[in-house]
Amino acid sequence: MKPKVLLGKVGLWSATAVASAAVMLCIAPTTARALNVPTEVTELGKNTYKKYCSPCHGEEGKGDGPLARSMLPKPRDFTRGAYKFRTTPSGSLPTDEDIFRTISYGVPNSTMIPWDILTEEQRLSVIPVLKSFSEAFEVRKPDAPVDVGLEVRPTERTIAEGKKIYEEKLECWKCHGVEGRGDGPSAGEQEDDFGFPIKPFDFTTGKFKGGNSSRDVYLRFTTGLNGTPMPSFAKELSDEQRWYLTHYVMSLVKPEDKEKK
Amino acid sequence: MIFVVFMRDYNLYTKFMINLTKPILILSVIVGFLCGDTQSSKDIYAGDTYTEIEVAEGGTVVGNVKYGGELAALSLNLYADMQVPDTSKPTSEKLIVSSINNGLKNAVVSITNIKQGKKKTVPLIHPLVDQQKNTFVPGTLPILAGTTVDFLNGDEELHNIHTRSTKNQPFNLGTTYKQRISRTFEYPEVIKLTCDIHKKSYAWIIVLDNPYFDVTDRNGYFEICDIPPGTYKFQVWHEELGNLEKEVTVHPKEITNIEFNYAQNW
Repeated sequence: MKPKVLLGKVGLWSATAVASAAVMLCIAPTTARALNVPTEVTELGKNTYKKYCSPCHGEEGKGDGPLARSMLPKPRDFTRGAYKFRTTPSGSLPTDEDIFRTISYGVPNSTMIPWDILTEEQRLSVIPVLKSFSEAFEVRKPDAPVDVGLEVRPTERTIAEGKKIYEEKLECWKCHGVEGRGDGPSAGEQEDDFGFPIKPFDFTTGKFKGGNSSRDVYLRFTTGLNGTPMPSFAKELSDEQRWYLTHYVMSLVKPEDKEKK
Repeated sequence: MIFVVFMRDYNLYTKFMINLTKPILILSVIVGFLCGDTQSSKDIYAGDTYTEIEVAEGGTVVGNVKYGGELAALSLNLYADMQVPDTSKPTSEKLIVSSINNGLKNAVVSITNIKQGKKKTVPLIHPLVDQQKNTFVPGTLPILAGTTVDFLNGDEELHNIHTRSTKNQPFNLGTTYKQRISRTFEYPEVIKLTCDIHKKSYAWIIVLDNPYFDVTDRNGYFEICDIPPGTYKFQVWHEELGNLEKEVTVHPKEITNIEFNYAQNW
């Protein structure tokens, strides 16, 4: 082989290497970085909790702050260790990332706002404070998060299959209503673990409480919402069926309602 | 003396302290964690103080739990005037009282302060909680800590099983026809089971830390056997009427009769 050709080849290879490295850097997820959660309750955490959280959630985390009376849904009572939005199986404690996500993004359709006005350090420092309210965190450990596989491509067929599950197999309509407006026959009598009335979610609003991506919707009925009547369907549905149901539920969102206003 | 030496060479002192404080801090944290762990788990496992012995001359306690109140005080039927489908009508009442002897069903009798006694044997065949016609059968299930309970959906429609507990991992699972779920309950706790789709149906699982317990039958009778002789506190638990306590002396190889009576104004 002539030296010139060899040089050309080496040049080509190095160019591809550099290019692929650049591409890798671009693709690399920027969100998935490890959170630096303090392991023990810090002064910063205590102060942040007292100033920003305790007006609703109460000084001792019982969900009985002075503002809580006028709220429905009620602020979460942390003493049971029941957290709604998790990536862990039904009944399990949440991971630190789950708590951080809920604090950072808030819960739509409730009085929990996204706390992005706080610095990341402040939000992280609250997590051990929340955990210290419940003895559950001393006794149990959170289970491993649910493995969300690759999403099935949404098509007409998957939506139709999802509709079958919604209406026949799991009878979601009993609470969430046939059109997903949260007005099913059992909707009126639901209450949460703490005895407060709770409304089944109205899918047509499109503001899903645990996040709007299909992955979030998938996780909600895979893991269930702890402390509420919403069960987990991890045992009943295969992975594909859950994606079908996700697509159907997301197809119930009615954007035209907004246009009317 | 050492202090004086250190004071003379302040630099050495600080170095020494810095070098020493770190491991001491880490060690104390570790020791603290260990101590904390053992203590808290002891609190939870009251059974740690329970020792298993051979009970050769054990006594037996049989008895009756009665309800002295008026039966007219049963829970209100809010659906009396409404047209509701049969499936959502309440089939279980909170107070099930025998008309023959006022015996109270589904009350759990247990010994609370027993230190040693018969072996804790976890049943190999799992106790079953079935959902039949929107009702949990049985309605009250006392179990020994560590027992695995099977939950079965015997109806041809969707149910969910929702437990509220703190120490034992709670769960809320949707089940279709003939779905069977097994769960182990590790810590003593009173747990309420509900089906949220059929709000009227619920059940209780009482997890206890010693093997001396029984649930009353439809005439309010119970029997606890192989108790080592001595004086014990017997407790009755009922979902609606609360707790009753009584001290009973158990004699070897004898049957002791006791009676619990929930008074009118409970």
